[in-house]
Amino acid sequence: MNTLSAVILGALTVYLAYTRYARRIDRNVIQSDPKRATPATLYMDGVDFMPTNRNILFGYHFKSIAAAGPIVGAIVAATLWGWLPALIWLVLGVAFIGWASDYSAIVLSVRNEGNSLSAVAHRLVSPRTRTVLFLFIFFYLLLIAGAFVGIMATVLESQPKTHLGIILLVFMGLLLGQMLYRWRMGLVAATVVTVGITLLAILAGPLTEGAFKGLNAAFNDMTAGAPLVTYFDPTLANFKGAEAKIMPSLLFWAVAICIFCYAGSVLPIWRMAQPVVYVGFWITALAMLLGLLGAALGTFIKPEIAQFQIPAFKGWNPQLGPAGIMPLWPMLFVTIACGAISGWHALFGSVGTARQIENEADMLPVGAGSMFTEFLLGLLALLAVSVGAKGSPVAAFATGLGGFISVWGVPLEHAASLAFAAFIVIVLVVTQLIFRVMRVTLTEWLGEVVPPFRNQHVASLISVALAILLVLTGTWIYLWQLFGAANQLMAALSLLLVTVWLASVGKSWVYAGIPMVFMYVTTVASILVTAYNLYFNVYQPNLEAGRVLPVMGSGLMVLVALLLVVAALFIAIDGWRAFSKYLGQPAPAPGAAAARS
Amino acid sequence: MVKSLIIEPLSRGWEILRQFMYGLTGHEFARHALEMRRDRESIFMLITIGDLVGVPVLPPVYSLRLLPHVLPRISAWKRQMARPKELWEKEAHGLHGV
Repeated sequence: MNTLSAVILGALTVYLAYTRYARRIDRNVIQSDPKRATPATLYMDGVDFMPTNRNILFGYHFKSIAAAGPIVGAIVAATLWGWLPALIWLVLGVAFIGWASDYSAIVLSVRNEGNSLSAVAHRLVSPRTRTVLFLFIFFYLLLIAGAFVGIMATVLESQPKTHLGIILLVFMGLLLGQMLYRWRMGLVAATVVTVGITLLAILAGPLTEGAFKGLNAAFNDMTAGAPLVTYFDPTLANFKGAEAKIMPSLLFWAVAICIFCYAGSVLPIWRMAQPVVYVGFWITALAMLLGLLGAALGTFIKPEIAQFQIPAFKGWNPQLGPAGIMPLWPMLFVTIACGAISGWHALFGSVGTARQIENEADMLPVGAGSMFTEFLLGLLALLAVSVGAKGSPVAAFATGLGGFISVWGVPLEHAASLAFAAFIVIVLVVTQLIFRVMRVTLTEWLGEVVPPFRNQHVASLISVALAILLVLTGTWIYLWQLFGAANQLMAALSLLLVTVWLASVGKSWVYAGIPMVFMYVTTVASILVTAYNLYFNVYQPNLEAGRVLPVMGSGLMVLVALLLVVAALFIAIDGWRAFSKYLGQPAPAPGAAAARS
Repeated sequence: MVKSLIIEPLSRGWEILRQFMYGLTGHEFARHALEMRRDRESIFMLITIGDLVGVPVLPPVYSLRLLPHVLPRISAWKRQMARPKELWEKEAHGLHGV
């Protein structure tokens, strides 16, 4: 198997699913009407509700949904089960479920006066569903914060050549915010300066590697090479499990990341978070675009970088630690979340994008089109790790992507440096946003009950502390899978709302209902498997060895897992009641939108 | 024929690409700037004509003089104030996919 075949398969998937399936649903089930007024045209206020050109909205929505999820998920899944199951799930998931979730969430909002998912849930299902959604969001954020901080700290510690680029990224982000919002510079000039300097710093990374290696060594010398925390990691020693160590240098990078995220959380968004994401987005987009084109052309120009190196299939239940299980079903379907299907997209689509839809005919290309494009991002990550096959999964990804970029004449060492940096950058910039939203969620949720949480610094510090606790458990793969489960549960909830709404207005609900049942059952099963793994593979071995921190962290994760299952059960009960009610008696849609003349 | 077969499609394609790139890059900044301005205007209107939305604000003496200027925005402002908001709406532009 080579990369060109995979790219052709990906392109065919997008073409067939969009033209044969998605368009049919849009035409026959949703019956989008270009003449029907949308909330953007009805309630136009020039800010939230603003009719926006379809192509602009496509770019905006795509950028809003595409980030680190499809990259990390594909890397992990290919490492665990081989490239074939990951490829099949990416293809089938996006073709039948992913686009339907994203598109339908936008439709739901557009046809319900621009209301968000939770507002629709409150009305159509039950007020309790809204609370459950909050629960999902908070734990989703906590788990992904822990997973991302953990993986970034590990990669930063082991890749000193990326440090210069990351440091410059932060400064250039601050500079960009100043340039745009205070100095009123044009976007093009500001982009060229800040992105250009960051890119140069990344490419020059190998030149400064020695200096940063010395920094890590200096930290570790503080404890004479002794680890701060030792824990049992089931992913080491080829997934048989071994003792892992958290060294002072790793903790330093974890804390440095958290300080960065804390700053991103409390500073005004225009000052740091938004411009840093913008600069980071350019770096990653450049690497991915060069990589995708390189993957397609590599077969002809540099065949040695285009052949898959990892096995196609590693087994139905690869061993993970002495007592762990990792069955293909259900774990693959939560390991690869974004790229196939993601509940987070539905959340954003119903708030940001749906209120800018100018014309109902735009819903499909914007909603479904963006999801199909994100699938290509996941596919690229899968191709990169499949041809890289060197060292850790992230190193394999960077080697593979670096090889694709080198097709364009960039020396391999610098191309790999760019690939590593692209990975760290996209994870880093997303993580600061996660802490920001986590802070807001904590304040909203607990601010009334525990007044100190209303303070943004207290809420941010609590969020950071919880993330550090999860990092110190060392079992990031379970963090990732639990995060995937929370994400997919949100997707199941989004599909449930769409199904109930379709039933309430007398339309066929099958295209959303069947994926909803599949996602729900799969996700709940995956949470139970992860809870089992956490308890027998992490909690118990570390408890027997008397290690407090890993026991606390894994115990917290088991608790979160059980809470998610309980929340899912509430959703099932309320969802079934609402569905049964509307199936027999369709409820009138609120405020039917007037047709445009 | 050259114009219709080559130049016009290329021109359309270029325009689509430009719009797509704007959506990827500048649209978010433009929206955020509009939101920042909207928030400040909202505070100003709350102070000067907050009684229109039931806030017990004693209208300042110059409210009547300001009324012709804010009149076009009043209905949108009232709708925006009354609309239930989700906790993540303010950070919606930050909700980049994971």
